Amino acid sequence: MSPSASESFYRLLFDNTLDGLAYCQMLFDRQNNPIDFVYLKVNKNFAKLTGLKAVEGKKVTAVIPGIRTSNPELFEIYGRVALTGKPERFETYVAPLSRWFLVSVSCLKKGTFVAIFQNITDRKRIEKDLMDAKIAAQNVLEDLSAEKSKVEAAQAKEEAILLAIGDGLLVTDEKGQIIRINKTAEGLLGRKSADLVGKIFSEEVSMTDEKGGPISPAERPINLALAASTTTTTTTTTTTGPVYYYVRNDQTKFPAAMVVTPVILGDKVIGAVEVFRDITREKEIDQAKSEFISLASHQLKTPPTTIKLLTERLLEKRVGILTEKQREYFNDIRSANQRMIDLVNALLNVSRIELGAFTIQVDEKDAGAIVQSVLDESQSAADKKGLSVKTILPAEKVKLRLDESLFRMVINNLVTNAISYTAAGGAIEVRGETRKKGERLGGKLLADNYFVVTVSDTGYGIPEDQQGRVFTKFFRADNARAKQTDGTGLGLYIVKSVLEHCGGLIWLTSRENEGSTFYAAIPLTGMKARAGV
Amino acid sequence: MTEDKKTKILIVEDEAVISKAYAEELRDEGFLVLTATNGRDGLELALREKPDLILLDILMPVMDGLTMMDQLRTKDLYGKKVPIILLTNLSASEEKIIQAIAKNEPAYYLVKSDWDLSGVIEKIKERLGQKG
Repeated sequence: MSPSASESFYRLLFDNTLDGLAYCQMLFDRQNNPIDFVYLKVNKNFAKLTGLKAVEGKKVTAVIPGIRTSNPELFEIYGRVALTGKPERFETYVAPLSRWFLVSVSCLKKGTFVAIFQNITDRKRIEKDLMDAKIAAQNVLEDLSAEKSKVEAAQAKEEAILLAIGDGLLVTDEKGQIIRINKTAEGLLGRKSADLVGKIFSEEVSMTDEKGGPISPAERPINLALAASTTTTTTTTTTTGPVYYYVRNDQTKFPAAMVVTPVILGDKVIGAVEVFRDITREKEIDQAKSEFISLASHQLKTPPTTIKLLTERLLEKRVGILTEKQREYFNDIRSANQRMIDLVNALLNVSRIELGAFTIQVDEKDAGAIVQSVLDESQSAADKKGLSVKTILPAEKVKLRLDESLFRMVINNLVTNAISYTAAGGAIEVRGETRKKGERLGGKLLADNYFVVTVSDTGYGIPEDQQGRVFTKFFRADNARAKQTDGTGLGLYIVKSVLEHCGGLIWLTSRENEGSTFYAAIPLTGMKARAGV
Repeated sequence: MTEDKKTKILIVEDEAVISKAYAEELRDEGFLVLTATNGRDGLELALREKPDLILLDILMPVMDGLTMMDQLRTKDLYGKKVPIILLTNLSASEEKIIQAIAKNEPAYYLVKSDWDLSGVIEKIKERLGQKG
């Protein structure tokens, strides 16, 4: 090849190389530090790869302002190669151009260098994206495994909590098959979870009522929950509702208080949850409590009863004539003793009410006749005080389902109060009448049809600020306390409790020094019956 | 009136003073009075002496009044028919008492502390079909 042919070959090669090519003259300062370089020759792709045009003959610092600060290593490397002639290869990011380059630099003639470079920005970006993706993936993985162990810990904790609940817990699927049972339930039923899970609860563990009669599968609370979405809640005492007993394999049994609820997903019952506990102890206490009331009733009332009977014989002169003073004293003893009996009765009534141990036994009665008979009994007390009593009762019988003794107690309390808290010469009016739903009476809108007994007096009245408290236990209005020292503060509390328990109402209107009116209402449908203990 | 013609009342009551008060009041009223302090003695006395009416306490040692009434009612024709007035300080709302009364007609129930002697005498006469 001739020199010119060879030259044009190299020119061709130079120009057509896909890589960028730059032939440069390195510039040094006096200390021989490389400070700049001049582009002597660049190939076609140079412009394409760098985005720089018409650079030949120009200093790099002029072509790429800021290059010295952004890429000081370029000057170092190029300077070194231009001086030593040892080729080098490196990757660098040129910030002013926002591009990555892979550069091979070599020296053909001392003081110059040839840089062959590729734009590797895309590769770098892909690499970076890859790296980012990898890091992100790793982070996600780490998060996932952290979450996983958190969930596992939470699950284990929930499991432990469920199993550790002090009440028995049993879960069934929609067919009534046991899917979970906790330790307490295992202990109570005397069965192992392994031997119950997967089996039909009502077939595996039998249930009886209080008297030992079997509860059929259809009546079992768990099946009521599954079949009818019924939630069953039984209380710990015997006063209301049925008591269920679970029977163990050894035929021993225990009373259970339970809450059984359907598990509903969407609108489908997918199972049932039963939480139950052994209430043997509560039942015993319940029993002891009823026995205590019976006993207290008997024991507390026997001594004043003997005093009552013997005093009566003395006053009736059955054992001889009394002097005037003796008679006075025995009368005082009799009335003090009567207060004692009344107080014991009131306290026992309060205990019965508070312990839920009283019965409401209803029978069809003539309400008006009972009111009349209570008034007849109170007549002498009213006469003694010089009070006039007016009675307005329906002409025809008012047949109501009532517990006569409770109804009498209510009316008697109201009438006795009217007599006690009205000054001599005053008037009492007792009215019994049927009132319709929607009527207004004594400031109250009636929500039902009622037989209402209204007891009005022209007595001391109740101060307005104390009217809200007259039905609370042991409360006595200040003016009543001043005028009548022997009240128990229990009468109206008992009246209200009794009426509330049997579906009735009590309310009042009163003005101090003018009088009070009490309204006692029994629904025309009658008192709600209730079994005691 | 000779002793034989007098109406015979049996009081079964463990409280001595209460028993005494009723017994003396009834004697003053002209009745012949027998007393027992528990259900077992009361039952024996009732079957032997066949009183016209029995005043019967409920809570008593040895045998309570309801058990005595049950046993008396099943013993013989006399035991089935004799009027009984249960006298107690238990509350009338005690279910077992109400059931016992329902099942043991003719029986009647009075709360001791609520009744004075004259009232009880009146009830006895009413049960016996005498006018007070």
